[in-house]
Amino acid sequence: MTTLLNIIIGGLIMGGIYAIISMGLSMQYGVARILNVSHGEFIMLGAFLTWTLSQAGISPLLSLVIVSPPLFLIGFIIHRTAFKRLSSISGGGAFEGNAMLVSFGLMFILQNVAMIIWGSSPQGYQFLVKSVTLGGATFAVNRLVVLLFALVISIGFYFFLSRSRIGKSIRAASQDPIAAGLMGVKINRVMALCFAIGALLAGLAGVLLSMIYQINTAMGMSYTVIAIIVVVLGGLGSIPGSLIGGFILGLVGSAVSYIEPSLQLVAYYVIIMLLLLVRPKGLLGR
Amino acid sequence: MLDIRNLNVSYGNVQVLWDVSLNVRKAEIVALLGANGAGKTTLLNALTGVIPLRSGEVEFDGTRIDGIANSDIMERGIAYLPEGGRLFPEMTIQENLEMGVYPRKLWGTRKAQLERVYDTFPILRERKRQLARTMSGGEQQMLAMGRGLMSNPKLCLFDELSYGLAPIMVREVFRIVTSLREQGITVLLVEQNAYQTLEIADRAYVLENGRVALSGDSKELLANDYVREAYLGL
Repeated sequence: MTTLLNIIIGGLIMGGIYAIISMGLSMQYGVARILNVSHGEFIMLGAFLTWTLSQAGISPLLSLVIVSPPLFLIGFIIHRTAFKRLSSISGGGAFEGNAMLVSFGLMFILQNVAMIIWGSSPQGYQFLVKSVTLGGATFAVNRLVVLLFALVISIGFYFFLSRSRIGKSIRAASQDPIAAGLMGVKINRVMALCFAIGALLAGLAGVLLSMIYQINTAMGMSYTVIAIIVVVLGGLGSIPGSLIGGFILGLVGSAVSYIEPSLQLVAYYVIIMLLLLVRPKGLLGR
Repeated sequence: MLDIRNLNVSYGNVQVLWDVSLNVRKAEIVALLGANGAGKTTLLNALTGVIPLRSGEVEFDGTRIDGIANSDIMERGIAYLPEGGRLFPEMTIQENLEMGVYPRKLWGTRKAQLERVYDTFPILRERKRQLARTMSGGEQQMLAMGRGLMSNPKLCLFDELSYGLAPIMVREVFRIVTSLREQGITVLLVEQNAYQTLEIADRAYVLENGRVALSGDSKELLANDYVREAYLGL
């Protein structure tokens, strides 16, 4: 029973983080048509900025608020400069391919700049390393805090998209950009906004990850891969799909790594292969 | 109200519209007829900034609007219903309608406007939580019209409203268009369904190969031998 509870809590933590980063990737791909290979690098930036702030004695919880605006701004500026220009010079259907290449370049730049600043050895800090007993099982407080924030951020973001005026314009633009334009939606601005929101969500996930794991400047790629798996699992461009897919993958990963930690990634690949055979559109894809 | 002078539009090197001039007066229904490929949709797209103009002038309500961005037309008081409605399929009916008042200036009016549109199209009120893609073709067309009317437009541009609809729905849709004129809304109606369109329109223009071939009062055109032969099949 306590084992099961542990697996579920662990799964929800991972799932919440996966959901956040996958919704971020989904925003960038679903609306801005950029399969952002450097997505994980924004996670890494969020994590390292938090680490740097923690060395100055600033609580990682405060970092959630401090780190978000700059990452949002960096995302917005990158879209406004690199990708907007790219889209005006890429004719026909060439943009998606070109955008992916640019994001590869971005990945190398961000990773190497980070390595110059923070080096390549793993880093970490102590945050709320107390434990509490709940229902007979013992949990580290920091993991519960991460769980809480992961749930709040992922569900809060979902409501932002489904309820707010801006959220509705984002969904409209992803379903029919021209019709959205006729409704007065400034499509270029929405695309930049979506890319920036993607960077912001990645950064927030990075802040949360740094509270419970060691971090290093090469950590981004593995999260990019997971985000891509979740986005395909949930259905390309489907935000509820990413939300649900993230939690499914997190719970499966948690269960598998209880049995054999090294099989976690194998399990993810098996899931995605089975899914592609049975339902290539993804869980909620159309 | 809408005055188009010597409009030229091309896709790359292929010129599609040649010196098209037409005007629409306030609270008038003007039809734009023509065969497939005559350039009717191109004209609407050019008016609304979806595609660029090569030359020509467009004046709406006393202001030049040629070269306008398509995201600005709604704030000018123009509602454009592209062919097929172009709804947002994965959004509910109410959300689709709300997009009709997306500009910040209009967003605050959405509650009142929703009521007004629901009164015009009661079927939409009944299904407001349903996804747009789950509705029948006729209902989708009603939703597209409702979304267009949300912003309280002065001018409606309708592209092929009747296309693909059952005859009874066509009559219903055209009845609503007529009721717009009674509310003082101006309508430019692009149609292939020439006969029924001429019955409700005040005047009409006929486009052939990107040029205005004929224009005049609907009654005159209905009696015109050439129109009867080429467009009414009589």
